[in-house]
Amino acid sequence: MPIEIPKDKWPGSVRQVVLGATAAEGGTRTSKVVVGGETCMPFMHFEGAIPNRPVVALEIRDRRPDDWSPLLVKTWENVIDDPAAWAKAAEEVGADAIQLTLSLTDSAGQPMSPETAVATVKAVLQASGLPLIVFGPGQSEVDNLLLVAVAEATKGERLALGICEDKNYRTIVATAMANDHVITARSPMDVNLAKQLNILISDMGLPLDRVIMDPTTGALGYGIEYGYSVMERLRLAALQGDAMTQLPMLVTPGYEAWKTKESKVGEGVPESWGDWLQRAINWETMTAIALLEAGANILVLRHPESLKQVEAAIQDLMTAPDMVSV
Amino acid sequence: MYIIGENIHIISEKVKEALANRDAKFFQDLAVRQVEAGAQALDLNLGPRKKDGEEVFPWMVDAVEAVVDVPLSFDSTNLLGIEAGLKKVTKAQPIINSTSAEPERLEKVPLLAKQYNARLIALTMGTSGIPIAADERVNIAVETLIPRMMEIDYPMENLIIDPLVLTVSGCQEYCPHLIEAVRTLQYAWDPPPNISVGLSNVSNAVPNENRPLINRVYGAMLMGVGLQMMIANPMDIEQQETIRIIEERDESTAVGRLYLKIADRIAAMEEPQFDDVDPSDPEQMAIWKTVQILLNKVIYADGYLNQ
Repeated sequence: MPIEIPKDKWPGSVRQVVLGATAAEGGTRTSKVVVGGETCMPFMHFEGAIPNRPVVALEIRDRRPDDWSPLLVKTWENVIDDPAAWAKAAEEVGADAIQLTLSLTDSAGQPMSPETAVATVKAVLQASGLPLIVFGPGQSEVDNLLLVAVAEATKGERLALGICEDKNYRTIVATAMANDHVITARSPMDVNLAKQLNILISDMGLPLDRVIMDPTTGALGYGIEYGYSVMERLRLAALQGDAMTQLPMLVTPGYEAWKTKESKVGEGVPESWGDWLQRAINWETMTAIALLEAGANILVLRHPESLKQVEAAIQDLMTAPDMVSV
Repeated sequence: MYIIGENIHIISEKVKEALANRDAKFFQDLAVRQVEAGAQALDLNLGPRKKDGEEVFPWMVDAVEAVVDVPLSFDSTNLLGIEAGLKKVTKAQPIINSTSAEPERLEKVPLLAKQYNARLIALTMGTSGIPIAADERVNIAVETLIPRMMEIDYPMENLIIDPLVLTVSGCQEYCPHLIEAVRTLQYAWDPPPNISVGLSNVSNAVPNENRPLINRVYGAMLMGVGLQMMIANPMDIEQQETIRIIEERDESTAVGRLYLKIADRIAAMEEPQFDDVDPSDPEQMAIWKTVQILLNKVIYADGYLNQ
């Protein structure tokens, strides 16, 4: 008996955003990533087009991180004190982009200076031709100080700059506009606030095809269902035609998953939890794949094995057989 | 529209201060102004008043009844305080605001209402909170609230069911369901139960400059499904004007015709259409955008009117 699969037809689509500029476009990147453009819910290939596959970035730090799991430190031990080498290593294991997080202080405990931040970013750009996402330490005043310097020193590279929040969006948006960069707009797991921030950014005159939103998500077992719902609602609104939600989404499952007990703790947990490293990688991978299904366009991870598994999942999801013809 | 004036509310700093000072004149002035603006009853929301409820409520009744004759609505969870106030009432039939379907409150509050021949506002909220879906709220009324009233032989004409308005800023999905709950509740019993809502709740946490517009558009939509009673701000002149336009079917202005069209569409279980709106008129566009957020068609953001 023939079964008719119900299909939704959506009037709206997600905006396409380009990260990274090649020499021909005024930058120095050897590759760029294009995200967004979909006209259907995630991987519903039979309902619309998904012109660009989701991409995976690996997170690196400007110096040896103080609070990372020893598992991650061990994995990156050879490059962890050299952001340029770390970026190169991330590119070699297959990342589509690099996400560099600047620290609040340098390794001597002094406040991070704009000069040091700029030097680090330039070294990373030199070492890897991948598109680069640069996050400040996450304190709005310091973010403004460091990111403005970085944006000016890298004019035309089409970096993605974050974290742009309601407290500091004006400064970062202004510098992104002046220096041809993209911004990531972060809001605290709330559809209303996510949309409001996009409205405010748009009011400043930054074209929305240079905005990526980060709705924040939580990790598997730690509120991911709220993050999932927020992303799903934002994406549904985008497809229904709400211009202020039609932005690609960047999420940080690496950051989220590696702070959970399941990833962090290797001792004093039930034996049935199994191998620590395997568990941590699974946690990061499963968090990432859930967010992929919720509509994430850029996933920022930390472990190369998780990257491999998530890339494989993306490959499968993008080549899923046409449901209608099955 | 029967309006229970909401302005004597402890959340207001002025009310808080006047109450602390037992400033009878302040409350008399606020009571008179609300009644002159069209309030047919006055809500007295003084908070739980755990320590002094039995003194504050009677004091307030004395103060307010000295200047107005309308029913007083005791909006508190403090039953002893409410009872002390009820004993003092000499003018109109009072209202207790409120009971819910939570067992403890449903056990006690209706008995108090019956004893003092007070009307009773009953919220469609059970122990597990406020359901989103309209029919679940109607079920609470039909399966829990109304049976309890029958059980104690409480006069049904004194029961007022409140299906609970929640804010568009954060509880947006509740907004269209509330409209359907008001529609359906009228068929829940014969004769139809009285229904009231706290209208201004729809714009809680919304920036002040946008609150009146959201309130009056939602009010128009609710009038479309037959709402005849609400706790609201009677001194909101534009809201009162919108209510008048719909009640009198005043088609003399373009904005009035749009409000009527919205109410009629909602009444007919249709969605308001963009064709109903004159896009060259900013006021009509603002109303249209507000309808879209209240029907949960477009995600609410504080800046939704600028989109």
